[in-house]
Amino acid sequence: MQNDNRGQTTQMPQNWTAVALSRDVPPQVVIPSVVDGRELAVWRSQSGRVAAWDDRCPHRGMRLSHGFVRGEALSCIYHGWSYNEAGLCQRIPAHPDLVPPDAIRVPVQVAAESGGVIWVALQETGQAPPSLGEFVPMRSVTVEAPATTVAALTGVEIDTAGALSVDLAETPCVLLVQNLPADRVALHVLVAAGTSAAAQAGVSRALEDLRRRAESERQPA
Amino acid sequence: MTANPMIDEWYPVGILTELSPEGRDTMLMGEPITVACDAAGDPVVTAGDGRSLPVRARYGHAWTSLGTPAKELFDIPEADQPGRRLVDVGVVRVKCSPLRAVENFLDIAHFPFVHTDILGAEPNTEVQRYEVQIREEVDEVWATKVKFYQPQAAKSAEGGITTDYMYRVPAPTVSILYKTCPPRPGEWDVITLFVQPLAEDLCEVWPWMALFDDQTPMTDLIHFQQMIFLQDRSILENQLPRLLPLDPGMEIPTRADLTSVAYRRWLKRHGFTYGAQLVAA
Repeated sequence: MQNDNRGQTTQMPQNWTAVALSRDVPPQVVIPSVVDGRELAVWRSQSGRVAAWDDRCPHRGMRLSHGFVRGEALSCIYHGWSYNEAGLCQRIPAHPDLVPPDAIRVPVQVAAESGGVIWVALQETGQAPPSLGEFVPMRSVTVEAPATTVAALTGVEIDTAGALSVDLAETPCVLLVQNLPADRVALHVLVAAGTSAAAQAGVSRALEDLRRRAESERQPA
Repeated sequence: MTANPMIDEWYPVGILTELSPEGRDTMLMGEPITVACDAAGDPVVTAGDGRSLPVRARYGHAWTSLGTPAKELFDIPEADQPGRRLVDVGVVRVKCSPLRAVENFLDIAHFPFVHTDILGAEPNTEVQRYEVQIREEVDEVWATKVKFYQPQAAKSAEGGITTDYMYRVPAPTVSILYKTCPPRPGEWDVITLFVQPLAEDLCEVWPWMALFDDQTPMTDLIHFQQMIFLQDRSILENQLPRLLPLDPGMEIPTRADLTSVAYRRWLKRHGFTYGAQLVAA
């Protein structure tokens, strides 16, 4: 199962977590995510900037991941309060003439893109997000089982950067691990650049099989 | 453990016309109860330990209390006014604090975003100043002179109108809304939110209406309100924390939230904290 590129990801700083493939969060889209148990709203502005904020509007506690993106701002779906790229409230529709005080702000986490992957860190890392060299993004899957179960099935250990480097259907892959609450895990899967469409379909099937096996191990017989 | 003043309040537990002799098993503030009717059709509510609970049959619903209510069930004089249609809307279960359900009902600023093109629409988002008071003589929260532009204020409304509202909170999990009545200027339509607290973070909402509307089929009236409450549910099940924060600091109100601020203050004053969070997490 192992491949020669396994060492590729070990240089990744530990405090970046992959939360999505870039193409799964197109402009003006917001999705819920979780990093180290912290619930986040990950979104992309109209101009293409990605951001990861605490998933809670300070007004009435509504999840911002249910909100909507207009231009470079994210708005809460409950009352339309909108927040600029720094997380500062810039408009309260109930009071259009009011300039919102700076105290109304959403905690902003560190978000960056590299190699077609959106990465989030809960504190400044001082380092750029990982570069995955010869690997390109393929798809993400959520598994109803912990990462350790998935890793055990592949026979490979999760490296210090939170990646599993394995061959799936004889194709070298990198599975970026995002731990989710309730012992679930999201795997953001990259394949070796140049992998054919047919080989990618094989990877996809192997991935589904891996998921099935992990989830069946979790359930009592 | 401290006493829970909410134990002695009245709560809706079923629709009168839907009661059966076999009864329906449900919950009230964490206690299992059975809601049935006797041979005469009057409601009978029994607690899990077998004791009979006090009952009232009013406003289309059966009401009960786990404790000893010091006050009679609140009055809605309009319920007895001739010419009104009384509408039992049904029940919507919501995974939220019963207090959050009431607070959402008191809020108009969300109309353009949650009930888009029905109860509100951009760019008409402004909430004008209105008046809020706790009426000490009746011990109720009241908001008056509330105005809001609505594209379709009621099933009977054609086109947009500026709707006048009054809100009233006579009990911790009850809110009564009075709003402009399109076919009968000078009168108020009455729409209520009766909330049954199943647990601190789970409730069943029983909307009830007393309307001047001879035209709209009953099914359409019910569907209209159910659509509105299902839109609210998508909000209520996604607020964090699940419990209503009563202490300042956890959430940031603005002028449009004066009713909510008064409601929270009134809850805290009475120790109505079932479904509330008292210390910022």
